Order: sequence, then structure tokens, then C-alpha cells
Amino acid sequence: MNRRASTGVDLSRRQFIIRSSALAGGMLLGMGELRAGTSPVPWGPDNSTAGELSPWLEITADDRVIVRVPTPEIGNGAMTQMAMNITEELACDWNRVSVQSSSINRDYREAGVYTRGFLPWFGGHGNDHERMDYIMQLGASARERLILAAAQHWKVAPAEVRAENSTLTHTPSGRSVGYGQMAASAATIALDEEPALKPQSEWTFLGKASPAKLHIPAVTRGEAVFGIDVKVPSMVHAALKQAPIHGGRLKHHEPEAVLDMPGVRAVVVVDPSNTRGTKLEQKSTWGLATNQVQSGVAVIADHYWQAKMALDALPCEWEKGAGKNWENSSEIYAATAALHEQPPARVLRESGDVNSVNDGKIVEHDYATPYAENAMIEPLSATAQVSDQGAEVWCPTQDMLQAYWVVIDETGLAPEQVLMHQTLVGGRFGRGTQADDVRMAVAVAREYPNVPVKTIWSREECFAQGRYRTPINTRFRAVLGSDGYPQAVTSRVCFTGTQPLYQLTLGYDDMPYFTSGIIPNLHLSTSTQPVNIMNGAYRGPCFNSHVFIVETFIDDCAIAAGIDPLEYRLHLMSKWDKSWSDCLRVAAGKAGWGSRLPAGEGLGIAISNWPAGAMREAGTVMCAAARVSVSKAGELTVRQVDVAFDCGRVANPDAVRAQIEGGVLFGMNMTLNEELSIENGATPDLNFDRYPMLRMGDDLPTIRVHFDALSGHERMSIIGEAPVGPIGPAIGNAIFQATGKRLRRTPFRKHDLSWS
Amino acid sequence: MADIKFKLNGKAEQLEVDPTTPLLWVLRDHLGMTGTKFGCGIAQCGACTVHINGTATRSCIIPASAIEGLDITTIEGLSENGDHPLQELWYTLNVPQCGYCQSGILMAAADLLQRNDDPSDADIDAAITNICRCGTYPRIRAAIHKAAEAIRAGAIA
Repeated sequence: MNRRASTGVDLSRRQFIIRSSALAGGMLLGMGELRAGTSPVPWGPDNSTAGELSPWLEITADDRVIVRVPTPEIGNGAMTQMAMNITEELACDWNRVSVQSSSINRDYREAGVYTRGFLPWFGGHGNDHERMDYIMQLGASARERLILAAAQHWKVAPAEVRAENSTLTHTPSGRSVGYGQMAASAATIALDEEPALKPQSEWTFLGKASPAKLHIPAVTRGEAVFGIDVKVPSMVHAALKQAPIHGGRLKHHEPEAVLDMPGVRAVVVVDPSNTRGTKLEQKSTWGLATNQVQSGVAVIADHYWQAKMALDALPCEWEKGAGKNWENSSEIYAATAALHEQPPARVLRESGDVNSVNDGKIVEHDYATPYAENAMIEPLSATAQVSDQGAEVWCPTQDMLQAYWVVIDETGLAPEQVLMHQTLVGGRFGRGTQADDVRMAVAVAREYPNVPVKTIWSREECFAQGRYRTPINTRFRAVLGSDGYPQAVTSRVCFTGTQPLYQLTLGYDDMPYFTSGIIPNLHLSTSTQPVNIMNGAYRGPCFNSHVFIVETFIDDCAIAAGIDPLEYRLHLMSKWDKSWSDCLRVAAGKAGWGSRLPAGEGLGIAISNWPAGAMREAGTVMCAAARVSVSKAGELTVRQVDVAFDCGRVANPDAVRAQIEGGVLFGMNMTLNEELSIENGATPDLNFDRYPMLRMGDDLPTIRVHFDALSGHERMSIIGEAPVGPIGPAIGNAIFQATGKRLRRTPFRKHDLSWS
Repeated sequence: MADIKFKLNGKAEQLEVDPTTPLLWVLRDHLGMTGTKFGCGIAQCGACTVHINGTATRSCIIPASAIEGLDITTIEGLSENGDHPLQELWYTLNVPQCGYCQSGILMAAADLLQRNDDPSDADIDAAITNICRCGTYPRIRAAIHKAAEAIRAGAIA
């Protein structure tokens, strides 16, 4: 064996973790900047450390500020944002700030020390108001305690001591000392009274600076630890296969056929009936219904490749589960669409009397979106060591509170016996919220107890065992008044899928068209087609379909009325929060709305709000204007996208810009390319050769993010989900302008766009 | 099992390994070098890109038997101190989001720049065929152009 591979093996795991943490140190990045950087492991300690000023905050003797954050880094910069928030009040040197993930076990033992604000362990809402105030108060408090410590040290009045840039200065004498040297004594000081927070107008860092995400140096050096990168001494690897048809069961397998293959240690069966269950009142974020064990089999070997080779060679037979075996996705979508002819399951919104309006132009169409897979580039994985006495898990979850309670439920252990370690998260886009992957890894490791087992889903297994985007088929029927605007709207959303959690109506019934009272007669309802195929969270769950559908329908109405689609929307928004019309005007203006375009080119617009369309001054309003060209042969190019938005205020302008750019491209791929097909009950689209993804050579649009529509309202609402709403319909509406072809289903690549 | 000798990030390596094991897993599991990422296993996504004798190559489909005597560079060896112009600009321009695909993209970009210190957009499109699900492509393009500028001005790549 190579030396490098064996370096950690002679250490016990506990030593290994402690030693790794001790290495968390100065890292020299080019361009003369000294950064605290990211520690070799991204998770923080499970116990308090000497000199910590709070469970959230440690200042080391060498002036490093370590912020322990419960929200994981999923790519949106939530961890960096929390560190920025504390920096504003702590008055520390940003180049010495680093972040770690908080320990959920400590949170449990210490009565929720990290549980603050909305969805406290979820990888979003970094600036949730309560959490932001809390962490800024910690920063202010630490600053005052450092000042008191320095004042005591110098025997001077605290008012004569200034804290700035990680340095405490006695102003009259000019003496100064670094935060690190005062941290230990500051940690022993309790304040009689908490200092007041600065008003936003006095912020010098938040909203002004745009620091890059703190994990980037580790990423660029190949040192970042994602879930799949976890190394634990004595660790073995598992390759997993679950029932190819969701809900099916392993009927027969022949382990003896592979047990002699190189490196193979065991073949283990994962059985849903082995879930121990917890007797405690579980406190998971999203509940346990979405993440039950699936019947499967795993091969455990020294190395992953050995495990995978043996799994591929393992003879297995599967039986189908209960329910209809769907031959293909068309059959599923037809069953869902047929629900339009049945009474609704649920009425969401009803006003006036839609049957009272009979005269006028009728706009009636069905709009639909298909299955899609999250397709994050880091495959699912988790590492677990399980015994009767305890479990220790390392995982790239999007929500550690969820993962923690799923492990407690799967093992039946007490919360004190379960240690969890948050790694960096390679994308996920919702796939990591439910912890079904963590549960499977624990179920595998339980069958090979006392040894850390890293279970890796192959790419094919990720696609086969996705928790797919909820397919939606929505019918809209509008009766337009003599002015061209809807007098009555009747609509039904038909969801495909069994999970109630993924039948969200954000982006549908909360749109101002339906909440502001501008359409006097409304009837909005839903139905559900149950299927065995599992759906789940996919960036902006259901919202990503509803906005495409509603904003395509509104465009259909505008065209039927012969009114400009921008003017049409502005009229329909006229009774609502001005932010919406501001966003429409800015995006349209920047895009050059109203200018004459050459044949085959078109400009389209769409708008939405995640996650609070029904409320004024809430959530993030986002409007996209897309400019496309379509060749006569039907080749589509999205040339430019102009985005205007209002999330209130912005804490890190460049981070917001990055999220919008990425979200536009994600939403564009979703709309243009993505459809996961189903054949004989399961998807045959098992890898990227069958699931097209945008790449740099795909003639990507210029994306222009405009900050002009920001209202300055004090909220700092989330930005990650918002772009996947309006981008698709903006492109579709532009294609209509360019070609006269109206696309009411995605993906667009399956439509003939040729024109003459 | 086979005894395989090759050069890794400038140092001689020797390893007993099943010769069919892909280079990706040799690096990750046998050598503990996890900077090179597993994404798809079929050379589609490019997360596993390394340099073999200087050329960007997807390591998930290269068997260990094929690397005998060759010179392999991984993200860990892209520069001595993490200061390749691309690494610096990836930070300065806040390129990565989650970051998972980026070591493969950095290796593809570094190969491009060592062949071409003034790449056009079309050159970049042809060289960077990796998948980034977060959608960092506009920043990748900007950072490659700026790195090329730095290299033309004398920065060491």
C-alpha cells in the first residue's frame, strides 16, 4: 500500500478528528492575502472549546475568528453570510474569519444553542431576521467583552478602548492588542446589559463588501471535504442498489456469486422492516414520511470500485411493489390530465362566481411540466458507523436537524448517542433536504456494525432513485371582459405523485393576479394522481412549474386581448405591491422592451415571488426579460436575459448576482432540456448521456442582473429559488413573439420551433 | 493485481492495484487524493479531470493499467501553493458555488491556458465541456480570460 493512504490509519478516529481540527490554520492565498481559510474538516467540535465566547464563536490566541454555523454551505454562501453578519458587529478582520458547521449533538445536549430562527439547520435563509439579529448580537456582545477585557488588562476606562479590525486600542496612549490575546479573559466576562445593534444605516461591511465564499480556497486546492470525500480510519466502502421500480422489493439474490471477488467483505440486505423507530417525539424539519428505507442490497468492500464491480455482478431479482406498473411517462401524464374531468380534491381559492360570466373571449389551455432529476454533480453518499451503543455519521445533508432525527429514528438510539458531522454539500438543489440518503447509509452500515462504511450511490443509482420534480398539469380557463382583462378564471392544478409535501402551490394561487382582487371571479383548485414513483424537492419545489404555467397563461390572455404583455401585467399588478411593477419596468426597460426586433427574434417577460407572493413587502420578487432568436429551421438561441428583483435589501451584492446568474442557467436547463422519462415503471435516463445539461458551448445568454428595483425594505429575503420561476416562461413568451408558436409544455427541446 | 509505477504531482508513485481500477478511484480510494471528483463514471461531466502527460483527461474511464510510466497531475498538484492564476481568480471572482465540479474545470482550464495564452470564447467553449449544475459558466469564462491576461503579463501558470 502507498504511504499516503496509510497515514491516518494508526490514529484512532477521535484522535484523527482532533488532530485535523488542530491543523485548521493559516493558509496563504496568493495576492498577498492571509486568510484563515477553511479547516481540513468542515465540521465543528461537539463540545465547548476553551476560550470560546459563545457556542457560535471562538477567537483563537492567534486572532482567528471561527464562526460555527448551523446552516450548511450548499453553494449559496449561507455560511459565509453568517460570518459576515457577525463580522459587522464584532469589528474583526474579515481575512481572519473562518466558518465551521455547528454540532447538532451539542445543540441537543445544550438545549438548542444553535436553533435560532426559521428552518435553523436548512441551507438557506441565511439572513432570516431572527437568526441574523441573534448572530449580530453575539458579535456585538463579544466586541464589548473584548473591550472590557482590554480595559481591565490596561486598568483604563472601557470608554477609552476602541475595537477595530481585530485590534483593541487604548486611544489616549495608543497601546494596542489583538483580539486573540484578550479572548480568553473576554470569555469569562458577562455583560450586565447587552449592547444595542448598529442601525443598518451605520453598517460598514454588510451591503457594502462582496467577499467571496469562504470555502473557495479549499475548493480550488482540492482540499474541500464534500460528503463523498470523508476519510475515516478503517473505513470501508459500499455500493448500493435499491429496488429499480420504486416501492419494489428484493426477491432473491446470490451473494456467494461475488463474495470471492477482490476486496469484497460482505453483501448486506437493506430491509425496510429493520428500521428501529424512535419512541421520542421526533423533531425533524420535514417529518419521516419522505425518507423511509427502500428495499435494497449493498456490497461492502475495501474500495468503492471493488464494491461497485461486485454489485454489478451480483445476481438479483426484484419484485414490484403495490400499485399500477406504469408503462411510460405518457401514460402517467394522461392519467393526471384526466383528473381535469373529475371534481377537485381541494379548492384553494374561490371568489365571486365564475359561472356568472359567460360573455367574452375565452382563453382555455392545458399547461404541463414533466419529471426532472436534481442531477447534482456530487453523487449521493454518506459515511456511517453504527453499533448498539451509538452511531456516528458524516454527510452532505442540506438540513442537519432532519438528518439527525432520521438517524435517531433508523437506529432507535438516544439523541445523545448519535454524532453527526456536516460536510460541504455538492449542490443537491433540494435532494439533500429529506435525509433518505442518510437513512440508507445508516441502514447499510448497521448490517456491518462497528466499522465506518461509506455508501456511494453510482450516478445511475442517483438517477434511478431520485426524488423527482413533481410533474404538474394545469388547466386554465379565462373569460376576458370587453377591456381584454380576465373577468373570470377557473383553474385546476393536477399534481402527479403521492407525497403531500411536494404538492406546494407557491407561484400559483399566491400570485397577485389571484390575490389582489383584480380578477373578480375566481375558482382555483387542485387534484392529485398517486403513483409509485417518488417525487421530492427540486429547486423551488412546484413553484418552478407553477410560474411557467401561470406566466404562459397570462401571456396567452394578453395576446388574445391584443394588449402588450408588459402593459397587460402592469395593469393586473396595479392593485398590488409596487415592487412587482417596479421589477417589470426595470427588466423590460433594460431589455429594450418595445424596440423593433428583426424577424425570428423575440422578447418575453415573466415575474414571480419566492416564497411569499401573497404578501406585500415579503419574499423575493423577480422578473426576467429574455431575448431569443429562432432560426427558420427552429434552432433556438437565448441571447440575453435581464433580471430585476426585490428582496428588500442585499447583504452581499456579488453573492446575490452569482445566485441569480446560476439560477437563470438552472431554470433555463430545466425549461429547455429536462425531462426524465419513465419506461416500464422506472427511468431509463440513468446518466448524463441521456439527460442533457447546458454546457459552456451551448451559446449561453448574456445575463444582466439589475439592482434598480430594490425597494430598500429592511428584509433580506432569500434569492436561490426565485430565478427558476420567471426564466422559463420569459423564454417561452419570447419564442412566441419570435415564431408565433406557443409552448405550453416543457422541455422546449421537444418542440418543433421552425417557422417561415 | 498489478504493480504500477507512475509520476503523481511530480513525485514517483508505486502501487499494487487491480489494473482495471479507473485512475479516478486509484487517486481517491488508494491514494486518498479526494480533490479529483467522481461525477458520472462515463466521461460525461468532467468532474474527474486530471492531466495525463499534460493533457486534460477524464480519469473515470482510464484504467490503472494505462497510466504505467505516465505523468499525472491532479488539482492538488496544479500549483505548489494554490496560487495558479486560475486558482487565485476563482477566488477573486467568486466563481464556484457549491464547488464540487470545480477541480475538474480548473484542470481543463489550466490545460487550455498552457496551450493557448489568449483563448477566444470559442476556444473556451471547446475546452471546457464540463457540467456545472450550479451554473457558474459566466464566471468561469471571465476568470479564464483574466487568467490568460495575467499569464501574458508574466504570471506563472
